[in-house]
Amino acid sequence: MKTEQPDLPLAIRIRGLSKTYKTGFWFTPTVTQALKNLHLDVYENEAFGLMGLNGAGKTTVIKLILGLLKPTAGEMSVLGGNIFNRSIRSHIGYLPELPYFSKQHTGRELLEYFGELHGLRGKTLRHRVDEVLEMVRMAKTAGQRVSGYSKGMMQRIGIGQALIGKPKLLVCDEPMSGLDPVGYKEMRDIFLDLKKGGTTLFLNTHILDEVERICDRVGILHEGVLKDVAPMKKILEASVPVDYWLDLDKSEASKLSGLPFKASVAGNGGIQIAGLVLTETLALLTSRKAKVNSVRPLSSIVEAYFLKTIGAQNYLMESGRNEK
Amino acid sequence: MRRIFVVSLFTFRELIRSKMLFVWLVSVIVLCGLAFLLSLLSYGDILNIFMDLGLVGMEVSGLMVLILSLAVTYNTEMDQKAIFLHLSKPVTRGEYLLGRIIGFFLIISLVVLGMGGVVVGLVILAGGGVVPILFYDCVIFLLLEMLVLTVLGLTYQMIATSMVGVVLYSFFTIFLGHCIGEIQWLLGKQLEPLVRYALQVVYYGLPNLGIFNLRDRIYDPTMVLGSSQWHEVLLYTFAYSFMVFLIGWVNLEKREFK
Repeated sequence: MKTEQPDLPLAIRIRGLSKTYKTGFWFTPTVTQALKNLHLDVYENEAFGLMGLNGAGKTTVIKLILGLLKPTAGEMSVLGGNIFNRSIRSHIGYLPELPYFSKQHTGRELLEYFGELHGLRGKTLRHRVDEVLEMVRMAKTAGQRVSGYSKGMMQRIGIGQALIGKPKLLVCDEPMSGLDPVGYKEMRDIFLDLKKGGTTLFLNTHILDEVERICDRVGILHEGVLKDVAPMKKILEASVPVDYWLDLDKSEASKLSGLPFKASVAGNGGIQIAGLVLTETLALLTSRKAKVNSVRPLSSIVEAYFLKTIGAQNYLMESGRNEK
Repeated sequence: MRRIFVVSLFTFRELIRSKMLFVWLVSVIVLCGLAFLLSLLSYGDILNIFMDLGLVGMEVSGLMVLILSLAVTYNTEMDQKAIFLHLSKPVTRGEYLLGRIIGFFLIISLVVLGMGGVVVGLVILAGGGVVPILFYDCVIFLLLEMLVLTVLGLTYQMIATSMVGVVLYSFFTIFLGHCIGEIQWLLGKQLEPLVRYALQVVYYGLPNLGIFNLRDRIYDPTMVLGSSQWHEVLLYTFAYSFMVFLIGWVNLEKREFK
C-alpha cells in the first residue's frame, strides 16, 4: 500500500521488500516471515511514523533501511542511492530503541568519536559537539563517563550521536522509550525543531500521541504487512469511529436491552459504544427515558484509526482493556 | 585510513579504561614474587630463571588481556548491540574490523612490552646481569604471535554467536596452535582416516604458534637467528593474519544484526 505524491523527492523508496528469519538448527529451521512485500515511499522533509504492535516488523524495516539486515526479496534506495555507499550513509542518523555505548567513555568523547566517523575534524568537530550537547541538554554532564548516566541521559546521548553528522534523514526506533515526561517533551521538541529545519524523520513507534504531534504521514504495519499509509491531516479530519463511554446509573440497566452497544459493563455503571452508533444510541436511550450522566470518548482518533486498521477492536473488547 | 585510526583509538581507550592494565600489574607482582622465591630455592643461574619466568609471564599476560578484552567487548558490542551504532555510520565493516584489531593489538603490546621492561629491569638491576640479544628477538616474536591471535580472536568475535563461543574458540586455538609440532608428528603415523582428516584440518587451519617460540633456546649458544628465519616468521605472520582478516571481513559483511 502506498500513497503517491510523485512530485516530491524521495528520501526512502522501498519496493517489494520482504524479510524472512531462519532460527534454530540448520536441519530443523523455524522460518518466520517478518516482513511481507513492503512498498513504501518516504518523502524528503517529511516526518513519517511507522506504527505497529510489538513484533509487527517495525525494527526489521529500520534495520533493512540501515543495511544491518539484508532483504530476502525486494529493493530499496535511501536518499537516492545505496545505503552501503559511504556518502549516503554520512547523511543518515540512527537512534536505536535503547542506545548502548561503551561505558568507559564520556558523553563528549562518544560524540567526538561518532563525529570523527562522519569526517568532522578539529574546530569543526568541537563546535559541532558543543552544539549537539546543547541541543540534547547534556552540556553540563558531557564530561561524565557513560557508566554514570541514567536511561534518559543515554537516550539523549543516543539522539546526540544520531545528529552529530547533521543528517538529512533521521531514523529512530522507539525514540521515546524509557523517557520521563520531561525527557519525552524535550525529545518531542527536538524532533519538531529538526522537522522545521528540513530533516526527514522516520520514526518507529507505538506511542500514538508522539505520532499525532510529530508526524506528517503514518503507516501501519501489522504482522509484517503494511496495512495503510495516510497523511495525519486526513486521519484527524476523517470520521474514524472512536469508541465512547456512556455513564449510566445501575438502575437504568433494564432500559439497555436491544441497544447496539459493543460491551455490556453495566456492573461498572455504564456502557461502551461505537462512535458510529452514538447518535442513534443516545436517541434510543432518550426515548426510553434513561438518564445518561456523561458521554466521553475512550480513545483518540489516531488510536481508533490504528486499532481499526489492524482490526484489533474485538481483541480489545475481549481483553477488557477498554473497561472504565 | 583516518577512520581506522579513530576506531582503533576508541577501542584502545575503551580497553585501557576497562582496567586491562591490572592484568599487567598482577603479572608483575606474580613474576617478582616467584623470582624472589626461586632465587632462594634454586641452585641454577637466577638470571636464566628471571628470563624464563618473564617470557612466560609476558605470553600469559598478553593472552589474558586478549581473552578478557574479547569477552568484555563481545558483551558491549554484540550482546548489548553497541555495534549497530558504529556500523550505521559512514565507516565500512572492513575499516571497523581493522580498527578494532589495531586497538586490541596496541593494548596487548603495551602489556607485553611493559612486562618486558620489568624483566629487563630485574635482570639488569636486581641480578646485575646482561640481557642476551635473543631476548629482544623473543619479545618481537611474542608480539607477532599476539598479532596472529588478535586477528583470529576478533574474527571469532565477528563470527561467534556468544561470548562463551569466542572465549572457547580462542582458548582452543591457543592450545592447539602450540601443539602443531606434535600434530605434525602424529600425522606421520598410521592413523584412522577420520582422525587423520581432523588432524589435518587443525594442522592447516590453525596457526602454528610453535614458530614464535624462541623462549626455550634463549641461552643456546648455537642459536643464531638468521635473516631467512626472520623472513619466514614475518611472512607467515602477515600472510596468515591477512587471510584470517579477510575471512573475518567477509563474515562481517555477510553478518546480519537481528
